[in-house]
Amino acid sequence: MQSIVTRFGIQTTKDTEFIDITERARELTRSSGVRDGLALVMTMHTTTAITVNEGLEDLEDDIAEMVARLVPAGAAFRHARFLHSDGQMAVNAPSHLRGALLGMQVAVPIEGGELVLGGRQTIYFVELDGPLYREAVLHTLGV
Amino acid sequence: MIDIHTHPVQIAELYDDDPNLTSAVRDVFGLYVEPQPLATYIGHLDEAGIDQAVVLPIDCTTAHGHTVVSNEQIAWLVERTDRVIGFASVDPNEPDAPAKLERAVKELGLVGLKLDPSLQQFAIDDPERAMPVYEAAAELGIPVLIHCGMSWAERGRTAMANPLLLESVVQRLPELRVVIPHMGWPWVGEALALALKHRNVYLDTSVLFSGTPSESLKHVVDVVLGHELIDRSIPRQVLFGSNYPRVDPKRAAWAVRELGFRPKLEQRIFHDNARDLLNIDGGA
Repeated sequence: MQSIVTRFGIQTTKDTEFIDITERARELTRSSGVRDGLALVMTMHTTTAITVNEGLEDLEDDIAEMVARLVPAGAAFRHARFLHSDGQMAVNAPSHLRGALLGMQVAVPIEGGELVLGGRQTIYFVELDGPLYREAVLHTLGV
Repeated sequence: MIDIHTHPVQIAELYDDDPNLTSAVRDVFGLYVEPQPLATYIGHLDEAGIDQAVVLPIDCTTAHGHTVVSNEQIAWLVERTDRVIGFASVDPNEPDAPAKLERAVKELGLVGLKLDPSLQQFAIDDPERAMPVYEAAAELGIPVLIHCGMSWAERGRTAMANPLLLESVVQRLPELRVVIPHMGWPWVGEALALALKHRNVYLDTSVLFSGTPSESLKHVVDVVLGHELIDRSIPRQVLFGSNYPRVDPKRAAWAVRELGFRPKLEQRIFHDNARDLLNIDGGA
């Protein structure tokens, strides 16, 4: 049984952005040496998300508009104040809530050293409060 | 679009050759988040629609034994990217501050002066220490952005940053162009009084106390000042400032747009007034 945690960086460039990390996850899975088991892809942040959907720009826009509609930027949030532990204004409640809706991780089976994904499935790292340098994790677990 | 007010204290590249910067930023400036690559800073400007941003150092040598980013580091940033406009900082508590300022302008090519009486701990109207620095700035023809109002830095002494203390300075040096950031909050009325009376006194829009930047700025502009006041009385004296990284430039920009000013005034706030102040492209 192997358990391998690999961190990787992503420089985002926009406030809201869908970044296709499927190929990166495939390569990291192959290099982990795990042949059969499970891969967990997880974001290290609370204003980003990991999700799987069809890799089409129109769907990316639709998902972005959906979360913006569900969590409007101009609504009144409690998380809108100075955060003393950071020394910054904490005024990104919509980013946190949109991230909560999309989720922080996905799990994908590994078979024969490859991720098991449907032909239309794309793994996205979703930036919801960019631009920032971000980190994600791929945890491969198996034999 | 020009951002008159950013602190380059989260740029990772500046930490590489400066082992003291972490302590300066955490213990003096009071920012406790991890540095980000310069690419992130540029990305923030892009996302907000900002063409160029002023980068501000603070020389706190006497008060705290640190510079919160040095003039040399500012010059390095200016050399690295044309997206930034470099201001200098000198410590008024040091006798050679005017000479240091002259060197920063003439040798490093910096184009403005940043002072923070609350963190540097000098009296704004001190005739012996501060006035020679203002005189040097006036002689060099550079603007001074001087922190006024509440300081978010734990060590900052807000009482030392009352904008009314600037009155004797602008009376003695009427040619000196002075930027009061944060609209002087909580002394908004005092800051406004100076700007109404003196055409060389400017206010920046980085009002941050609670709520989102949109809520804070709207309260000050619409409730405290009155929505029409800027357009009527000081349309050429208000500058867009974000105060990054206390808040993201994109949200600071949204806050100004959401005020719903007529396009000509918004253009002045976002660009023209800073262009003229900094004499970019020859000014107006």
